[in-house]
Amino acid sequence: MAEEKYDLWLSSFPDWGNNVRCRLAQTFGGARNAYLASFKEWEEVLSSKQAEGLRNFTGQWRLDEEYEKMKEQGIRLITRAMQEYPRRLRDIPDAPYALFVKGGLPGEAMPAVAVVGARECSPYGAYVAEKLGEALGRRKVEVISGMARGIDSISQQAALDAGGRSCAVLGCGVDVCYPARNRELYERLVQKGSVVSEYPMKTPARPQNFPPRNRIVSGLADAVVVVEAREKSGTLITVDMALEQGKEVYVVPGRITDRLSDGCNRLIRQGAGVLLEPEEFLEEFLEVFWGIQGRRKSCDAPIEDGKEKNSKSAKSKRNKQSVRHCGAEQSTGEKEALKKLTPEQAAVYGALEICPQTVDRLRSRLPDRYRETPITTQLMLLCMEGLVEQVSPGCFCLKKR
Amino acid sequence: MYSAVCSGALLGVSAYLVTVEVDIAPGLPVFSMVGYLSGEVKESRDRVTVALKNAGLRIPPNHITVNLSPADRRKEGTAFDLPIAVGMLEASGYFPAGASSGILFLGELGLDGEIKKVRGVLPIVREAAARGMKQCIVPAANAREGAVIPGITVRGAGNIREVLCFLGEHPGKMQEGILQAADVRISELMEGEQRERIPDFSEVSGQETAKRAAEIAAAGFHNLLMTGPPGAGKSMIARRIPGILPPLTLEESLEVTAVHSVAGLLEEGKALVTKRPFESPHHTITQAALIGGSSLPRPGMISLAHRGVLFLDELPEFQRISLDSLRQPLEERQVNIARAGGSVTYPTDFMLVCAMNPCPCGYYPDRNRCRCQESAVRRYIGRVSGPVMDRIDLCVELGAVDIGSLKEKNKAESSARIRERVLRAREIQKSRFAGTECRFNGDIGAAQIEEYCFLGKEEQELMEQMYRSLQLSARAYHRVLKVARTIADLAGKERIDKEHLMEACFYRPVAGGI
Repeated sequence: MAEEKYDLWLSSFPDWGNNVRCRLAQTFGGARNAYLASFKEWEEVLSSKQAEGLRNFTGQWRLDEEYEKMKEQGIRLITRAMQEYPRRLRDIPDAPYALFVKGGLPGEAMPAVAVVGARECSPYGAYVAEKLGEALGRRKVEVISGMARGIDSISQQAALDAGGRSCAVLGCGVDVCYPARNRELYERLVQKGSVVSEYPMKTPARPQNFPPRNRIVSGLADAVVVVEAREKSGTLITVDMALEQGKEVYVVPGRITDRLSDGCNRLIRQGAGVLLEPEEFLEEFLEVFWGIQGRRKSCDAPIEDGKEKNSKSAKSKRNKQSVRHCGAEQSTGEKEALKKLTPEQAAVYGALEICPQTVDRLRSRLPDRYRETPITTQLMLLCMEGLVEQVSPGCFCLKKR
Repeated sequence: MYSAVCSGALLGVSAYLVTVEVDIAPGLPVFSMVGYLSGEVKESRDRVTVALKNAGLRIPPNHITVNLSPADRRKEGTAFDLPIAVGMLEASGYFPAGASSGILFLGELGLDGEIKKVRGVLPIVREAAARGMKQCIVPAANAREGAVIPGITVRGAGNIREVLCFLGEHPGKMQEGILQAADVRISELMEGEQRERIPDFSEVSGQETAKRAAEIAAAGFHNLLMTGPPGAGKSMIARRIPGILPPLTLEESLEVTAVHSVAGLLEEGKALVTKRPFESPHHTITQAALIGGSSLPRPGMISLAHRGVLFLDELPEFQRISLDSLRQPLEERQVNIARAGGSVTYPTDFMLVCAMNPCPCGYYPDRNRCRCQESAVRRYIGRVSGPVMDRIDLCVELGAVDIGSLKEKNKAESSARIRERVLRAREIQKSRFAGTECRFNGDIGAAQIEEYCFLGKEEQELMEQMYRSLQLSARAYHRVLKVARTIADLAGKERIDKEHLMEACFYRPVAGGI
């Protein structure tokens, strides 16, 4: 308790990075000693400008008050010295000195997968992120991500919806909801998952905060899945970090004509694992994960019951029998509806994709004998059957399920 | 000596007669003008005196008083120069008193005595004819414009001496060649000028859906919104819509000509506007320029587009206040502008065609090119004002044109063939709405929907199903019915079919794209 106040002080100075924090704590032997050290002693460790800044900051900092404030907001500060500090983070290069945590801590015993990707994603990316998040949530795999627009928030949302756990690593203070539109997701994560950040409270979202944030995203996970990324994308920073930390990287392939899949396809070219189907990926991933856990268990204290492991892999086997394809899942109701379609409607349905297309383009994709079909009428019928969605006046796509 | 000469002034697109009284009496040389005159009318004192002097017509330095009656209405414009000059000549005894009676004079004078073009000749001549006058003398440049009105002789004058010559010889020995009556054959005009070049739909390759939407919109006089990336052909299609609307009737042509005449936009020597107007204001247009206005009201863009197409390209870029003020003109088909200078009404019966990009960069939802944030897209679309969206019956989205359809040039249908179908649909509407306030399906109000857009039992069921599964609003429901009525008319069907309903539903505004 006494030490925590000083840790908060050390973690709250806004203008420096993690390495300075670590250096101070190491040199003086803990935050408390660093706090009590004289200005001269600081100057020995820091540059004179940094020491000056620290003095000014320390002059205004009210140790007890700030600590009480933090407690009131239900925020905890977990430093590397504490037992609760995430095991996965301990080993990574440049591990954060401390994490601000709102909500629970990321599950230690649970397998965790980071799902990352473009903010401005395509409907295809959104669809895959949702399917993936749902599968992970269902199989009790924690989803680690950055709560950004697009892939991040979609996968986290889906995981929570499926009853799973999720952890958001922010590039701002844990008490700041960025982007503001994700307020609902933020609240849910605080309730049912966790929100963590290495940045002091009230830090606004600054572009330079995000690349360092990504090392924590990959650090907290056992594997990283990239759903959609452009050739030059922040997502690829996460991938680099993951590789540096020795984590598995899986990639969702895309069409080579889609700019949003360029980064992914490039990673595949470079030898990343390919995610073709969430269930299949989970089989592979969980097998490896529980394998490692098993080995770890033999030397560490037991975390999970061995039976659980066996039943899980047995379940995996069962699921393998009925591998379903990501794009072709159909409920029985839909199957019935599809059976009832006329040949023209079936042709139109066949030309549709997850990504919206204009009507003229759809028409050009129809087989020649259906070119004269009144395509607008057929589309409206398909919409009414709930098979197709009209996303804008002239664009249609397959209804997401 | 006293004289009174007849002239006219504009009030909106109609006119009223003005009597120009001139009195020349002995006394100190003073020239005073009265009758609630605006600046340019007061300045005519200098133009008239100098013009008469330069024409070699000397007015003795006496006390001259000019009054424009009715004296309580604000007069503006330069058309009073000629009647004032004629009145002064008459009061000075240059021609027999009474020679100018029964003739309406209009024209601006140059300092050399030349008579220059003025605006609003057509409405004033029409008013004169209605009041039983038989002759008009107008600037030569405006003579053909006035000559369109039957039952009145319109003579074009080039300078003040010609007018004097005419009045001096009048009525007995009219000299050959002086101020000949302008002669206009209306039927020839209507036919001849219809051949004026309007861009043709055969030049648009691909974009079949948008062309079909344009056809439906033209047939039922519905307002249309096109969205799509830059270069998809939105403006191209919009420019071709006047070509598939029915040709202007003489009555319509007169209305259009009157508005253009009042705005001073009629070309010199032009008798009638016979081409459907197509107005495409830039998005920086002010409210006054769009709706009409300034302290002495002039017709705005929406009135110049009367009986034609008003095309608002880059719809979200328009000032919100300008777009909001379209509400009354769109509903009442006319706009009433009240200013300190008076209140006038201009006709605004136009078809609204709008075009916009789906997002700030223009390529949404093509994520290969568009990197706009979802919120930016929503904000962009949200800039379009609600009142305008409420009046849009058809929405259509254009995709980028692929190279295949650009190549097959010969396949596209010509405007003439589309127009034939539009004309047939218009005929059906004409007989349906005979004797009612509606003229087109686009005019059908919510109250008359049941009557004109009757649905059979099966169609009713389909409509209910669509209402539920596609989550239509009540307003969208009505629009779908109206558009379905037009589609049925285009197909020549008495009853609205299921197919018509579904096609109409396709063109409804969808939340994501509007």
